[in-house]
Amino acid sequence: MYKYITMLFLATLLNATDSRNLIIEKLLKEVELLKTSVSELKKNQIIVQSKQKEDEQYVDELYDFAENTETRTLEDKLKFGVTFKTSIDNFSKEYTDGHKVTNNNMWSNKLMLNMNADVTSDMKIYTRLSMFKYWGSGTKHLYSNYDNMQGRVPSDSSLYIERAYLDWFFNKNSYIPMAITVGRQPSSDGPSHQFKDNTSRKATYSALLYDGSSDGIVFTFDISKIINNHNSFFRVGYAKGFEYSETSNDVGNAYIGASNNELQDTNVYGIFFDTTIPNVKQSLIQFSYSQINNIIANQLDSDFTKNKNVGNLNMYGAMVEVSNLSNSNIDLFLHYGYIKSNPNLNDYKNYGGLLNAVGDNSSKSGDAIWLGTRYSFGDKQKYKFGFEYNHGSKNWVSLTQGSYDVYNKLSTRGNAYETYMMYVINRYANLRLGYIQIDYDYSNSGWFIGESKSTNNMTEIDELKKLKSIYFKLNVNY
Amino acid sequence: MKNIISYLVLISVLFVINVNALDLELVAKDLNLSAGSKAAVQWKRVFKSERKMKRYKIDTLDDAIKISLEEYLINHAIDSDKPTVAGGF
Repeated sequence: MYKYITMLFLATLLNATDSRNLIIEKLLKEVELLKTSVSELKKNQIIVQSKQKEDEQYVDELYDFAENTETRTLEDKLKFGVTFKTSIDNFSKEYTDGHKVTNNNMWSNKLMLNMNADVTSDMKIYTRLSMFKYWGSGTKHLYSNYDNMQGRVPSDSSLYIERAYLDWFFNKNSYIPMAITVGRQPSSDGPSHQFKDNTSRKATYSALLYDGSSDGIVFTFDISKIINNHNSFFRVGYAKGFEYSETSNDVGNAYIGASNNELQDTNVYGIFFDTTIPNVKQSLIQFSYSQINNIIANQLDSDFTKNKNVGNLNMYGAMVEVSNLSNSNIDLFLHYGYIKSNPNLNDYKNYGGLLNAVGDNSSKSGDAIWLGTRYSFGDKQKYKFGFEYNHGSKNWVSLTQGSYDVYNKLSTRGNAYETYMMYVINRYANLRLGYIQIDYDYSNSGWFIGESKSTNNMTEIDELKKLKSIYFKLNVNY
Repeated sequence: MKNIISYLVLISVLFVINVNALDLELVAKDLNLSAGSKAAVQWKRVFKSERKMKRYKIDTLDDAIKISLEEYLINHAIDSDKPTVAGGF
């Protein structure tokens, strides 16, 4: 019995020893495996660390490169842009006495240098220097001395400051963000001239009412959140149309001429409402009212015994334009303007008073309409066909003396037609072949002074009856 | 009065016609794309690269919308021609 027990004990012991050995062997194997894994991990870690170091070096290099580029960008305080236009005009004019004048092969160059500076995120300065001249002509045009026509009429090769204004933004993230724009305003080449240039909107106001340079201050209120429609703005503006300063009263080196009691400065006040057609992204609706007080008969006439303030003018406007209507490649616009004069008793020499003959001080009213369309077609819409029509009544007049075109067609008292074909060379350049015809039904188009008369039975040597022009333009806007 | 009525009629017609127009701004917004975040040449580069189109999920769009979107992004790129107005927000 004892023998059996001893054998059983020995057998159990042997069995336990074998199992322990197996476990130890297994454990040793696992330790070896772990050692190998740890070793591999260490190797991988070294590789990863080395790669990480390389990546960090690369990121550092990229950062330095990005920062250098940023430094260069921050150094560039001015951003430049340029518009360049070359035009060949062939036109004929027919006067009311029947004689005709033609001028073909008339070449002109227009250069506009745009410079912008982002002073801070809330303050930006914009300037535009303009030169407009006929080829082979260095004669300074008399009209280029008019403040609102500088750089806007063909003259010599002088560069004029057409725009120089500062936009100062307030409360950008508030319910009603606002901005103050002060200086020589963006008031030339406004809507809807941009279709002809194949650019975006280039000024604040309808070009039927305002076209030319002007000095003033404009308060802009972004009311998009109030009326729940994007791009909705309310503007209040003041501009100086004429500053009378009697330079003979300069004292020493102080060039601050005095005013006198006989002649008042011309002041312009206006309110403007911009919005868009709901759900029509590329659209603009504008309503405006302006008052022009103490209109001066002739800015350039320094004989102030004859040159006088002739009265006030109220100007109302409405416009709507849509680009690429319903993705149809059709652009449309329609402008309307209405004016009412409030003349005083003054006349300018024998020309008369504000929209009146000599001795007449009755109030006059006039209106005008301007509409047009443009259709884009062909590969990438490289071809564009456009048509415009405008009509002005007998007493129509507005502030377009520094007009987009050399004919000031939007001041026409009668009918004007323009049709053109454009080829888009690239994003920045295009060629345009066009035809303009203006039928003057009444005299003195574009003039504030004097009575407007029907041209039907008129036989004046210097009064236009009809104007025709074929033009070809190269337009680059970069 | 006649002119005001004409304006109202025209605006109503334009509104009705445009209600169903494809809004590319919304398409871009859905893809988290901001046209003003790149220059025109950079957007062109995006549309030339399959990898980049995949990254911006542009590859999921129909070819016609893709072409329109490319045109929209280029036309509104940071270096594109911008409207000029007083107090241009």
